[in-house]
Amino acid sequence: MKQENIRNFSIIAHIDHGKSTLADRILEITNAISKREAKEQLLDNMDIERERGITIKLNTVRLNYKYKGEDYILNLIDTPGHVDFSYEVSRSLAASNGAILVVDATQGVEAQTIANMYLALDNNLKIIPVINKIDLPSADIKKTKQELMDTFGFQESEILLTSAKTGEGIRELVDAIIERIEPPKGDRNAPLKALIFDSLYDSYRGILILARIFDGTLKVGDEIEFMQTGSTYLVTELFAYNPNFLKVDSLSSGEVGYIVASIKTIEDVKVGDTITLAKNPCLESLPGYKPMQQVVFTGLYPTETNKYNDLREALLKLKLNDASLTFEPETSEALGFGFRCGFLGLLHMDVVEERLEREFNLNLIATSPSVIYEVLMTDGTLIKIDSPKKLPEPTKIKTICEPYILTNIFTPSEYIGALMELCQNKRGNYKTIEYLTPERAILHYELPLSEIVYDFFDKLKSISKGYASFDYNLIGYKPSDLVKMDILVNGQVVDALSTIVHRDFAYNRGKVVVNNLKAIIPRQMFVVPIQAAIGSKIISRADIKAMRKDVLAKCYGGDVTRKKKLLEKQKEGKKRMKKIGNVEIPQEAFLTVLANEEIND
Amino acid sequence: MISSVYIHIPFCSNICTYCNFTKFFYDKSRVSSYLDALENEIIKRYQKEEIKTLYIGGGTPSSLQLEELQKLFQIIKKFKLASNCEFTIEVNPESLTEEKIKLFKENKVNRISMGVESTNPKFLKYLGREHDFQLVKEKIDLLKKYQFKNINVDLIYALENETIKDLEKDIDNLLSLDVPHISTYSLIIEEHTKLHILKAKNIDEDLDYEMYKLITKKLNSHGYKHYEISNFSKPFYESKHNLVYWNNDYYYGFGLSAASYIPNKRLLNTSSFRKYLNQEYIEEIEELRDNDILSYALILGFRKIDGINKKDFYDKYKVDILSLYNIKELIKEKKLINTTSHIKVSYDKIYVENDILINFVGE
Repeated sequence: MKQENIRNFSIIAHIDHGKSTLADRILEITNAISKREAKEQLLDNMDIERERGITIKLNTVRLNYKYKGEDYILNLIDTPGHVDFSYEVSRSLAASNGAILVVDATQGVEAQTIANMYLALDNNLKIIPVINKIDLPSADIKKTKQELMDTFGFQESEILLTSAKTGEGIRELVDAIIERIEPPKGDRNAPLKALIFDSLYDSYRGILILARIFDGTLKVGDEIEFMQTGSTYLVTELFAYNPNFLKVDSLSSGEVGYIVASIKTIEDVKVGDTITLAKNPCLESLPGYKPMQQVVFTGLYPTETNKYNDLREALLKLKLNDASLTFEPETSEALGFGFRCGFLGLLHMDVVEERLEREFNLNLIATSPSVIYEVLMTDGTLIKIDSPKKLPEPTKIKTICEPYILTNIFTPSEYIGALMELCQNKRGNYKTIEYLTPERAILHYELPLSEIVYDFFDKLKSISKGYASFDYNLIGYKPSDLVKMDILVNGQVVDALSTIVHRDFAYNRGKVVVNNLKAIIPRQMFVVPIQAAIGSKIISRADIKAMRKDVLAKCYGGDVTRKKKLLEKQKEGKKRMKKIGNVEIPQEAFLTVLANEEIND
Repeated sequence: MISSVYIHIPFCSNICTYCNFTKFFYDKSRVSSYLDALENEIIKRYQKEEIKTLYIGGGTPSSLQLEELQKLFQIIKKFKLASNCEFTIEVNPESLTEEKIKLFKENKVNRISMGVESTNPKFLKYLGREHDFQLVKEKIDLLKKYQFKNINVDLIYALENETIKDLEKDIDNLLSLDVPHISTYSLIIEEHTKLHILKAKNIDEDLDYEMYKLITKKLNSHGYKHYEISNFSKPFYESKHNLVYWNNDYYYGFGLSAASYIPNKRLLNTSSFRKYLNQEYIEEIEELRDNDILSYALILGFRKIDGINKKDFYDKYKVDILSLYNIKELIKEKKLINTTSHIKVSYDKIYVENDILINFVGE
């Protein structure tokens, strides 16, 4: 296919604005799939994506389309919508020449509409603004158009209207992709230059690299070199994806496809790296993109200690598909051997944990998440810690700084008061309010990142009945009066339950954590004190009484089988617990440290 | 060798709020067909072994009319009873009459278990019982008049709104009866009971534990030996029949929903009246492999306060009890105590014994 007839484009949107459904319709109209095989959200192929109705991983599909009698290839590079996954967005965008900006006609412009739009502009992409869900009775097309024009300066004539549900406006949209987005401008005769923008592990084919060819041509049998690592491999297979794997002999500039090259070492494949030919290398690599900054860290441990290596393998395979995940070995007295893992945000952390459990069949215990703190020592050295465990003795610390964020909270005006109260309670500093329209505003607060690690997002959604959306930028470090709070179970510090908290909040958090643990840890054979402590000072305590009376049940006419069944059931329940000292602690206990509110038992 | 028999009489003149045993309202024609079916089952399954303990439970066996009880004892004549056979029948105070007591005596019944449950009118009502403590005293005196010495009374505690004082009064009342055996049960609100349907509440677990401690302390100090988790007796008055269960010995269970343990099998009879009359007795069969038998031997044996006799265990199962499961480790953790003759659960951990017993089930 000649380059003039290729279009590489992405779809960007705020979460839930109908991006994946729109992608499905585009697939349908280009006959990539029949209506009958169209499962909902075809490109979201992970179970978690379908269940949660969100896109996590980008996906790429090649579409054939006839326009004015000519054949075209459209490469649709799907993108996720959540702020945590904006690195995925920037990767898609680096491989695209244009983007469809989707806005929900019932919701208008939201936090990630703006964030993703700016990412697209940074990549010099042609933007096609689309108002979706116009079939809904609550759609306000006029207002949404106005918001798009006011916020981004679009002309009214540029804005397309679609309903991914009914199919209205989809053909016009596909035509616009061909008319408005420029074809890729690579030089097919130049040395090969291809960008790795994703990779994944397939149990049949091994490692698959997803690449966009910028210059030159790649053929089966070529020896390729990864410019960053210097390693070389022989290309064994090339695929396009339509959305089934389609074997091809070559990929040329402007095209997107999968490379299989019998790669053994997972670590050799670095997303963002440039591929060239070993014999005829290009002079300089593509710019790639900035490695993403992990902001949330947690310890992940297998429930069964002999599953450590399985966890390591699983993390390596996940990393192949998710370059933003970092991990290094960590040990805990309470939990044994595990990994300190870094994530781009809480949703990212959630998704990785869930994928590890589902796709790799692991039972995990996660310790309380932490951000990176900067600790200035009395001797003048500065250290960075990503775990409460690594916090030095208080006497050696001069100051502790923690990361702050600037929020963009998009909200209907009626919730501003309640949201400001939420931010105040989270140690926020008020900055400004911008009104988009009299009914909609953006609230800017400076907040410690550690405060949104807990329940900020849930609270935001419940306060605003789901209408507020939220996104943030890291703005740097500020000193705070922070202390390490330990949790002692039966007099023993459980390292995995320690957290770093603001001194003013320590007493309340300690009380909540201790009471939550009391509610969740089953009664043992002896009294177990649960204590929260700062240094040697106990700030809260609750006792778990020794007890279990089921043993005293009457024996029904010699039916002792019943007793045995009860014991077997109790034994099953214990399997998901960790033994700490001589106390059995259920997995959920490690999560209750996160819950800010009291559990009602 | 099977040498124990349990017989279930599933009739009551009144249904207690806490009971989820198999039982029906007393109905004359039903009783008659049931007794016929019971006789059939015994003829079919009993292999003429000598019987050393016989237990008639329910339901309320004493709720049967005199002539029905006569019929029942007629059926029991099919058993070859050992001369020193312990023969127990369960009764409740209101249905026990002098005639019935005489009949028991004539038919070699030598142990009576009376469902007293509480001595407080308020709680008797809560439990759905129709007697009062005065009646209990009269019936115990009547039993004693007919030379019944071996008497058990049941007590249920940990009832909603019950206080330590209430319990203390109950125990004092029971002690005043001067009977050699007392069983105590902490109320468990089981499914399919009136209490469950009425959403009755459990008492606070701390209070439950206090009550348990009070019972053990008081009964121990009055010469009752705590010999099994829920059972206390004067010396030599332990229930031999119940010890058959805890010693993992064989027994027949006849009647609706009765359980049997015969070589390599545990059986559970049907609880369907229709099926039972239709001679479809057995509902569930648990085939026992060697390690299942050992598992039962441990979870049942450790219910006895004295624990398991090491030599008896070896003679019976040809295996050293110390080599089983993690018993050595549990001894090290002081959850089990290893004496010269026995292995037993540490007395302060009896109350939470399930935590130890779960070591002996599953893989």
